[in-house]
Amino acid sequence: MSSIIELKNVCKSFGDIEVLHNIDLSVQEGEVVVVIGPSGSGKSTLIRCINCLELISSGELIVDGIRIPAEKRKIRQIRLEVGMVFQQFNLFPHLTALDNVAFGPSKARKMSKSKATDIARDLLEKVGLAAFENKRPDQLSGGQQQRVAIARALAVSPKVLLFDEPTSALDPEMIGEVLDVMQNIAKDSGMTMVVVTHEMGFASQVGDRLIFMDEGLIVEEGKPGEVMKNPGSDRLKEFLGHVKHH
Amino acid sequence: MGFEFSVITESLPALLAGAKLTWIITILGIVGGMACGILAGLGRIAGTEALGEKPHGIYKPLTVLIRYISSGYVETIRGTPIIVQAMFLYFAFPMLVKAVFDIERFRIEALTAAVITIIFNAGAYIAEIVRGAVISVDKGLLEAGMSLGISRFQLIVHVIGPIAFRRMIPPLGNQFIISLKDTSLFIVIGVGELTRQGQEIMASNFRALEIWLTVAVMYLIMTTVLAMTLRHIERKMEIF
Ligand SMILES: Nc1ncnc2c1ncn2[C@@H]1O[C@H](COP(=O)(O)OP(=O)(O)O)[C@@H](O)[C@H]1O
Ligand SMILES: [Mg+2]
Repeated sequence: MSSIIELKNVCKSFGDIEVLHNIDLSVQEGEVVVVIGPSGSGKSTLIRCINCLELISSGELIVDGIRIPAEKRKIRQIRLEVGMVFQQFNLFPHLTALDNVAFGPSKARKMSKSKATDIARDLLEKVGLAAFENKRPDQLSGGQQQRVAIARALAVSPKVLLFDEPTSALDPEMIGEVLDVMQNIAKDSGMTMVVVTHEMGFASQVGDRLIFMDEGLIVEEGKPGEVMKNPGSDRLKEFLGHVKHH
Repeated sequence: MGFEFSVITESLPALLAGAKLTWIITILGIVGGMACGILAGLGRIAGTEALGEKPHGIYKPLTVLIRYISSGYVETIRGTPIIVQAMFLYFAFPMLVKAVFDIERFRIEALTAAVITIIFNAGAYIAEIVRGAVISVDKGLLEAGMSLGISRFQLIVHVIGPIAFRRMIPPLGNQFIISLKDTSLFIVIGVGELTRQGQEIMASNFRALEIWLTVAVMYLIMTTVLAMTLRHIERKMEIF
């Protein structure tokens, strides 16, 4: 197995404030990495660096063989291979569920309208929303919107999917349906996934590796079950205590 | 001197000719003003995060230049009365050209001056409408678009454009109506639009009541047509 994402000594600053400190991380093809950590620890920044929504300040990022900062011109190519699912869904409000999903294939992959629509139909079916293809985002529940957003990200056939707290904005009763879809993607397609989440059940069942971040550092990593059972640091122990009570 | 209906029927052909000219100037002004306004509105936010990610390398100073030019244009137009703009273009600009380029007999037709003035004037206000609508688009939607790997051009055309356009319709309707009424100021450069026609008929028969009532109703009809057209577009686009 080869690594599809590699961060070498990556730092990220906003202005004078460094929020990621010398991060080294490599993600193997097909691996599901779950990232946990307190608010403000740099989880979002870390995954946003991977698809270059944030440019790293120093160090090197290699995604699917493309090196940043050396090959900055190929950022769009990285994004074609690295999809992202957001906490706030961010569906295009002017498009139906079907058109949201068909957007990537037709615009980014430049497929014909009919081919893009076929792909979109298949994916909506896969996330259990075939009956909702003509609904606009504001006519869907949060859980349904997030499932459409996952289908949209999948539609350009990326090699990697990034999830930034995909269930944090959802009502509790809708979290399950979204996690199920994510689990199916991981199991069926062997998708490489980096998931920021506090759903510890998902982390232990689906995750191959758990990463605990704190104050811009990767503090601990390992097999989810083991890390959760034997946290090495007081910070992680305390943090796990917090998420369990949620 | 009572209300003479025949005065209206007699002056109707001339007033309708004026109304037609008013309408033509307005439509050209709206179409040209939209083009100017979109360019200048996007120009004012070129290189900012409102249009996707910030540019690197040589594009950076270029966008700064574009921002300065666009802002200079918008502020100049907003900061001067339209009547002064029309007079400047019609009377002063030809003299400037003569002096600078040493061209004899350079002049601009009154109608041309009127159309150019309304285009640039409307364009400046529309630029602000465009800018306001574009910066109000949720950044998360831009990130969603960028994450799919589309180009900046596609982002502007397929994401920012449609979402911003819906928010622009009500203020645009307002601006279109203002522009239509502003054409009446071209009376000062002798364009035979509706107000000028009314003024000329008035000067010959002194029937102020009939003439200005008719002129007012004609303006009202034209502004109503504009307003209804925009309402129609608005409904079709289902504002959210
Ligand atoms: N665009 C930004 N500008 C300035 N500071 C930012 C920006 N994004 C994140 N930060 C800061 O970086 C730190 C890490 O944020 P983030 O990655 O969002 O953490 P997390 O996702 O773990 O809650 C925080 O202190 C946050 O305030
Ligand atoms: Mg976050």
